[in-house]
Amino acid sequence: MTEPIFSLQTSGRLRRRQLISRAMGAGAAGAALLAVAVLAVVVISVAHRGAGALNLDFFTQSQAQGYNPKGGGVLFAIVGSVVLVGIATLIALPLGVLVAVYISELAPPRLARLARVALDITNGIPTIVMGIFVFTMLVEAHGQSAFAGSIALAIIMLPLVARATEEVLLLVPSSLREASLALGVSRWRTTMQVVVPSAIGGILTGTTLAIARAAGETAPLLFLTSLGVNSHADANPFHPLQSLTLVIFEYSEQADPAFQAKAWAAAFVLMCVVLLTSLAAKLALARYRKKLGG
Amino acid sequence: MRDLYTSELEELEGILREEGKLVDRAIRGALNVLARDDLELADELIAFDDEIDSRYLTIEQRIPSLLARQTPVAGELRLVLAILYINLHLERVADYCVTVAKLAKLAHGLPRDAGVLEALEEMGERCREMLDTGLEYFYARDFTDSQALIDMDRPIDRANRKLIDRLIALGPDEPQREWAMRMMLVSRCLERVGDHAVDIGEQAAYLVRGRFEEFTDASHKTNIK
Amino acid sequence: METIRTKIEISGVATPPDARAREAVFEARGVSVFYGDQRAIDDVDIDIYRRLITAIIGPSGCGKSTFIRTLNRMTDLVPSARLTGELRYRGIDLYGPKVDPVEVRRRIGMVFQKPNPFPKSIYDNVAYGLRILGLKKDLDGRVEKALRAAALWDEVKDRLRDSALGLSGGQQQRLCIARAIAVEPEVILLDEPASALDPIATSAIEDLMHELKRDYTLVIVTHNMQQAARVADMTAFFGLDVSPDGSRQGVLVEYDETEKIFTNPSDKRTEGYVTGRFG
Repeated sequence: MTEPIFSLQTSGRLRRRQLISRAMGAGAAGAALLAVAVLAVVVISVAHRGAGALNLDFFTQSQAQGYNPKGGGVLFAIVGSVVLVGIATLIALPLGVLVAVYISELAPPRLARLARVALDITNGIPTIVMGIFVFTMLVEAHGQSAFAGSIALAIIMLPLVARATEEVLLLVPSSLREASLALGVSRWRTTMQVVVPSAIGGILTGTTLAIARAAGETAPLLFLTSLGVNSHADANPFHPLQSLTLVIFEYSEQADPAFQAKAWAAAFVLMCVVLLTSLAAKLALARYRKKLGG
Repeated sequence: MRDLYTSELEELEGILREEGKLVDRAIRGALNVLARDDLELADELIAFDDEIDSRYLTIEQRIPSLLARQTPVAGELRLVLAILYINLHLERVADYCVTVAKLAKLAHGLPRDAGVLEALEEMGERCREMLDTGLEYFYARDFTDSQALIDMDRPIDRANRKLIDRLIALGPDEPQREWAMRMMLVSRCLERVGDHAVDIGEQAAYLVRGRFEEFTDASHKTNIK
Repeated sequence: METIRTKIEISGVATPPDARAREAVFEARGVSVFYGDQRAIDDVDIDIYRRLITAIIGPSGCGKSTFIRTLNRMTDLVPSARLTGELRYRGIDLYGPKVDPVEVRRRIGMVFQKPNPFPKSIYDNVAYGLRILGLKKDLDGRVEKALRAAALWDEVKDRLRDSALGLSGGQQQRLCIARAIAVEPEVILLDEPASALDPIATSAIEDLMHELKRDYTLVIVTHNMQQAARVADMTAFFGLDVSPDGSRQGVLVEYDETEKIFTNPSDKRTEGYVTGRFG
């Protein structure tokens, strides 16, 4: 074996670069840790404060009436939230996807840009303003209803779904579109049967984010569905229905600490529901992807 | 582009050119052996064939390699094929020269006829001319006048036939007859050399025109433009 | 240095002996293709014959991909593209006012350079076109037939429900061919179908093309001359022409039987290209 003329070990300038590289890596890891820590703190503190009031009654009884905290359950609030967000999703998801399809596949460039700007602006409008808008459009004439609440929530969800979908649609390689078109399939069917299914992952993610946002909205619901009575079972969307967020708001306004504890508990429940929805969506996506393989 | 390939082709053609010159010398050498009845010269000529053979083999070996590695097409394919065939024809001509030298050696000491030798000399020179013409067409990639080659071949065939008549007319003695037979074979060799020269011309035509045609053929008399 | 624009005179449109007996599936007369103001292809006259393999070769930028895409109106996908001259498919003007490009593409299929199976199962890839076109009767049978014709059936018959993306490159390309065949086109266009594949897969595709020739007319664009030499009956060489104003467009330089193009081409530019002297 001959003596090596050079060594392959780091030296001098390279060593400094290596140190900088390591420092940056550590910094990035630290930032990520911080983000996770913040989430953990929020979850833990809500859980801690709300766990006390969690019991079976909480889930099964209807809302407390008046000033007596005893027996105030959130069952119907849960039902109400589900109806509100559910209907909103049913409206916003197909509309959002269609809008995204229009912007990315069919519209002339100038119109597409206009639509994008409009969506972004909509996204930025304070939700309370949205609430007032729907109030003047629907509630003044027809009275409060969960349906009105859903409409407001749908408007809030729409930009999120549409933008996320658009991003993913753009990522679908044009070779797939070409393949379908070359078979003699029309543009529209190509989009709906090849492009959109390919983008389903991103669409689901966008929808989940939108659902999470909608589930947490309080302000618009104040105008639109706050008269939900909930002393009896009601899932009729044309009546005003209670929602978890409104319950949190109302309970936390009460002076009685028992009510406040219930508010924390309701917050905890809301958080769990949203987290579970995200997890469920991710699981569904993973299974769908696995089915497609590759 | 394809510089390596181009230089390989050029080199191959260069070797062929050398071989052509050597074969020309061999024909002249064979004719000299006949004229002077020189045994030493005959042996020299026979040894000289090795020079031609070595070039022949070089080309024979390089062509398959070139075909495999460079996949020549179009004009270059025809060039490589032309080189291949001309190489073969030149080697055959060289072999005939050796045969003539050997025949001359065998005919040494036998009574000779000046007229026959003169005719053979003329035939031989015609062959040299034809070979030179055919090769020139090839090198110049110019084939406007193939009739010239055919025209040159005809007299050789005629001379061959006339020679046979003359040889038959020679005396009845055994040495005379032996000499006559040897010279007939020599004449036959020279006639074949002429045929090979025409074949070389056909290769030149193929290279230039892109289609292969026979100018003359043992079974048919053809009139090619 | 002045560059002179030379127009190659092709004496009529070449009709080789046995092709004369065949009908022309495509007839192009004076076809030029523009992208906006830029002329990509200039004045092409060519007949493409039935159930033969026609190869289009030429240097990059000579418009061969553009030309093949005019044959099934895929050029429509580029908004600024337009075509002048006449391009007939079996007598019908492909670019006539009443012609539906979707219908055109149903009859004239295309396979692309990079295999592009859908992210669906193998079965669903082949069945895709069939389902959309309403050819649902005996779907299983049709899928099998297409996969057999593409020489892929034996390799995938036990895993039809698996994802198409799990196949190798060569298999994916054969799947794309099966997908195209399933809708029973008359013509199959192949735009450099083997350039993304290894030599063995390439051979498989070339063998397949020889088989397919019995039932379909094939037009293939290839930058691999040896492939054109191996596979095609007719070869068209597109060259680059430089105009006085410096712009370049593709022109049809020579079109003839493959054998002639590769042993004795008529045009010097063809000779220069096939011998690899000019790119």
